Amino acid sequence: MVRAMKWFISALLLPAVLSAGCAHSPYATSFPAPSAAPPLPRQVAIAPGPERLPQQSPEISAKSGDESPLVIKKAVKEETAALSPPPESVKSNTEMPTKSANKSITDQEFLDYTEGEDEEKKIGIADPLEPFNRAMYHFNDKLYFWVLKPMAQGYRKVVPEKARIGVGNFFANITFPIRFVNCLLQANIEGAASELGRFVINTLWGIGGILDLASHKDINLSRQDEDFGQTLGVFGLGQGFYINWPLLGPSSPRDTLGWAADFYVHPFSYLTTWDVFLGISVYERINDTSLSIGDYESLKEAAIDPYVAIRDAYVQYRQKKVKDRGVQPEPPKPQGTLSPAVEEASP
Amino acid sequence: MKRPLAGVGILIILFLSQPVHAGAPLDTVQENVTKVLEVLRDPALKAESAKEIKKEKLRPIYNRMFDDVELSRRTLARNWNTLNTPQRQEFVQLFRQVLEKAYVDKILSYTDEKIVYDKESLLSENQSEVPTRIVTSSKSIPISYRMIMKDGLWKIYDVVIENVSLVQNYRTQFNEILAKNTPEQLLETLRKKVKEQ
Repeated sequence: MVRAMKWFISALLLPAVLSAGCAHSPYATSFPAPSAAPPLPRQVAIAPGPERLPQQSPEISAKSGDESPLVIKKAVKEETAALSPPPESVKSNTEMPTKSANKSITDQEFLDYTEGEDEEKKIGIADPLEPFNRAMYHFNDKLYFWVLKPMAQGYRKVVPEKARIGVGNFFANITFPIRFVNCLLQANIEGAASELGRFVINTLWGIGGILDLASHKDINLSRQDEDFGQTLGVFGLGQGFYINWPLLGPSSPRDTLGWAADFYVHPFSYLTTWDVFLGISVYERINDTSLSIGDYESLKEAAIDPYVAIRDAYVQYRQKKVKDRGVQPEPPKPQGTLSPAVEEASP
Repeated sequence: MKRPLAGVGILIILFLSQPVHAGAPLDTVQENVTKVLEVLRDPALKAESAKEIKKEKLRPIYNRMFDDVELSRRTLARNWNTLNTPQRQEFVQLFRQVLEKAYVDKILSYTDEKIVYDKESLLSENQSEVPTRIVTSSKSIPISYRMIMKDGLWKIYDVVIENVSLVQNYRTQFNEILAKNTPEQLLETLRKKVKEQ
């Protein structure tokens, strides 16, 4: 009964959300972050003052658009050269306005450099909930350092790495229906076949999924990390805006909906009650963390503003995943034959 | 007299044609990564105390591998224009130190990881992306190097780790900071960041 209701609700909700989302082009909803919005504000007022002359910037960028690629390239060289001479502090103030026209050319060249660069420019997300999100960032941060990490460290001491990898494989194998269904929804037949093959092989010969034999180079079926959030992305639904959930972390309306939908396909949601499911999820999280202690720390350490760094990493990562559907992410090639070289690092 | 000239001519042709060779970006990465691994695996430097020596040895390799200025300019994007020349110079220096502090320990911690090189792809005539993977016991981490050719040398201007572009990630951060602060304040933040570690 309950399950039927769940399905009914989701069946009602999904088309509504989808139709709302499909009005936009794939990435139309992913606005650039607020900060990216002001177009070339301090362009001209370069050296000391905060005085802004924004009305000049469109002119400059328009001008640079007309420049031929050759001139632009020249300008890049000039600019690199301009870096080497020692600072001319007072002089540069007066010279700057004329120079800046040149510089905006190189800037334009830089922004429109390649298609890859162009795509990157579009990556970004609106963050209207920033105060809430930042608060949740601090909450999750403390949760990690005070609870999750100590637990994972203790667990790591007790359980050998091979067993923890096995547990990770087991959970990954169990969630096969999520990936399989989403491959099908994205019309990725090859991916669905690969997932099906993996499930059969790993369940039967990999001791119920503890061993990931299918990823072995001889079989070479890689995991298709597809979820419903990506499926919605493939259907054309944008991320919308950024939500940083307590406990669950970075997300968006689209991906949150994706989680909810995937939950219905998750075998544990049928086999167990929700409190058991929760317990298992916590355990899975600890197991995962035990295999990646240090990753979060170094990400945070490297960032100037960790909150923004994590938000951007999330958006980039998800966007790439949506774009890469059906492409096998990292086929493990037979070593020594296809890959140009294999570096074997011995301890 | 004619023969030596012809020899020089051939040399010049060989020299000039070398960068156009399709395998060049991949070869460059591979060559440099191999050098990095040599330093990391040097049995004479195994002791914990040799960490600084390792870092010293890695720096010149980094210089050959990376195009600092290109990386900084792409990271600041349009904000690059709001910095004057001395500020740019300082930014390049500081950003480089930030990156070094952030990643050197991770790099020094590599032990039994395997590095697999995949087929490079040309982004444009002078830009290329070299995908590699670091394979550990529990996972495989894709790392791509985006490279640009300048003066016949391929140098890295962006590193994409697990589909997240380093340049793009810092660009978002700097964008937000510079939306509310002056370039000088950004430099001050970076100075503090470099000092605190």
